[in-house]
Amino acid sequence: MKLRLLLSASLFAFTAALAPRAALAEVSPLDLVQPIADYKIYVSENAEKLVADTKAFTDAVKAGDVDKAKALFGSTRMSYEAIEPIAELFSDLDGSIDSRADDHENSEKDPEFTGFHRIEYGLFAENSAKDLAPFADQLMADVTELNKRIKDLTLPPEKVVGGAATLMEEVAATKISGEEDRYSHTDLWDFKGNFDGSRKIFDLVRPLIEKDESAFVTKVSSNFDAVETTLAKYKTADGYELYDKLTDDDRKVLAAAVNTLAEDLSTLRGKLGLN
Amino acid sequence: MTTENKGLITNRRNVLFGVGAAGSALAAGLGSAIAAADTHEEQVTDAPVSDKTQERQAFYGIHQAGIITPRPAAGMIASFDVLAKTPSEVERLFRTLSERMAFLMKGGTPPTFDDKLPAPDSGILGPVVPPDNLTMTLSLGSSFFDHREWLLPHKPARLSRMKAFRNDALVADLCHGDMTLQISSNTPDTNIHALRDIIKNMPDLLVLRWKQEGSVPVQPPKPDGSHESARNFLGFRDGSANPDANQAALMDKIVWVTEKSDEPAWARGGTYQVVRIIRNFVERWDRTPLGEQERIIGRKKATGAPFAGSTEHDVPDYSKDPEGTVTPLDAHIRLANKRNGGSDANLILRRPFNYSNGVSKSGQLEQGLLFICYQADLERGFVTVQRQLDGEPLEEYIKPIGGGFFFTLPGPLDETDFVGRTLLEAAGHSVTRIKS
Repeated sequence: MKLRLLLSASLFAFTAALAPRAALAEVSPLDLVQPIADYKIYVSENAEKLVADTKAFTDAVKAGDVDKAKALFGSTRMSYEAIEPIAELFSDLDGSIDSRADDHENSEKDPEFTGFHRIEYGLFAENSAKDLAPFADQLMADVTELNKRIKDLTLPPEKVVGGAATLMEEVAATKISGEEDRYSHTDLWDFKGNFDGSRKIFDLVRPLIEKDESAFVTKVSSNFDAVETTLAKYKTADGYELYDKLTDDDRKVLAAAVNTLAEDLSTLRGKLGLN
Repeated sequence: MTTENKGLITNRRNVLFGVGAAGSALAAGLGSAIAAADTHEEQVTDAPVSDKTQERQAFYGIHQAGIITPRPAAGMIASFDVLAKTPSEVERLFRTLSERMAFLMKGGTPPTFDDKLPAPDSGILGPVVPPDNLTMTLSLGSSFFDHREWLLPHKPARLSRMKAFRNDALVADLCHGDMTLQISSNTPDTNIHALRDIIKNMPDLLVLRWKQEGSVPVQPPKPDGSHESARNFLGFRDGSANPDANQAALMDKIVWVTEKSDEPAWARGGTYQVVRIIRNFVERWDRTPLGEQERIIGRKKATGAPFAGSTEHDVPDYSKDPEGTVTPLDAHIRLANKRNGGSDANLILRRPFNYSNGVSKSGQLEQGLLFICYQADLERGFVTVQRQLDGEPLEEYIKPIGGGFFFTLPGPLDETDFVGRTLLEAAGHSVTRIKS
């Protein structure tokens, strides 16, 4: 009798809270074929764009044109950030392309520290393209290899759908603080890439759950909209304001939206019947 | 349920009624593991055993729990920025918090979802959440009112943003906040479980700003049933002069906002909460002669007694010691509490925890006191006492680095109520009281 008392009290508390619904929509694996195929096209297009943009960026670095390289840094990364859940499937390349100084024991001086952020460090912290040519060559080779591997890749559905939440987890855990692009402060460009990539996945599978999960779909959409609205305040002619321009209030709004999206999108796989 | 709750308020040692039920639920759930248990095989990784996991504090009452509740071994302050802006959003925040706090303090079995979905509970306390003497205490900072125009006229009269005192070196990332939760229980794990539950359930309303955990050293029960104050990381007993929380009339005077206070009516039953993260330079302290330590504090280290007494509860008589020959005039306890007729007006109820955070860049221990105190009048209470302490010799060994001033809301009266309801009603936002 005491046990029943405890159980009923606890069930009340959880149903009253904003817990996700336990009943799952009926989604057949076949329904996912078209969204996954469409996503493959999205990833391929972004990978192609990454190769082209990185070419222009690394050319500027190698030519010693610091100003031009700096100007291209933020936009070049966006296509990578948009497809990060897929790019990260190749952990060797991800480490080489996108690791940060604190991923390495000796920080900036560590010989393993390469890729975008090593070049960012040279350009923005040291204001020089000197000694960056080898890093530029390797970055170009890495993104070319990434593009090739993506072409041959069969996208695992759970990775694709899970990627929507993964992107938000990345922002929530390591980006909202402004530590990703710590030398250039172009974090808002990265955010935009991450949000676009996450929303793309959500939009592709949205028709499959729209009917059974309309409250969920509305909530996620409105949180994506809140992010878009906040980011739009910082749009400039050729990109975004630097991260230190972000007001404390807007940072809180973004942090809450990102965490809520991460929480809600963590149920997307399950709602689509994926393990 | 209500009668049981009433019983729980009066005697916290009688809260063990859940033991049998939870125990059998556990046994039923373990199935095959029972065979192993029968052999009494012991592993080094076996969970430490406690008979206190079913201790339970009542969530409902005119005051929130966790203030005059006896301090358990583990405590935490978590400070949040609050995203809820409109009256209905704030109502959702208060209601959801109250629902979660009620569940976590009572304990029970969280629901289970389809395996394809993330579980609603972190599971770190197992499939049946034990109450473990948990209390969760909700307080609001000055900025909560300042950033919501509709609440501004209803701000508690003395609630302000904490300003740095003379010896403070405040770290922005460890200060202030729209809201605090004081979470305390028998174990750090229970506190962490509660915090993770809050974060998971309200990501759109709350952003965690800072948190500090702490602990209190436990003592064996004394044969005569008497109690001693716990020691802080300076090795001294802390709390000897605390007012007796069992005396309701005294608490009404010192701790609670009442109808006699010149505070908004909605605030009655609430109290001001002060949080201070006070780093102790323990290496240096440990290299200070014992006699000097005792003169700085004003008590004997071993017993906690004042110099003219034999136990920590003896009250020093400063009227017989005007020159400070027995207790130095600048001793911590003498500056903090002059023990004359007037100083009773400045009494506060302290409920601190010791904290230990790692190592400073200079290789010294980052340790100190998570100071928490409650008072009916912030100015006459903590602020006055701290001003009296400004410049004390102890400052050489301590450095306040964080914290803030908050107002602890009145308690939720019963199951139709929620924490913060009286504030919303005072602001003209009508709420429905239904038994959920």
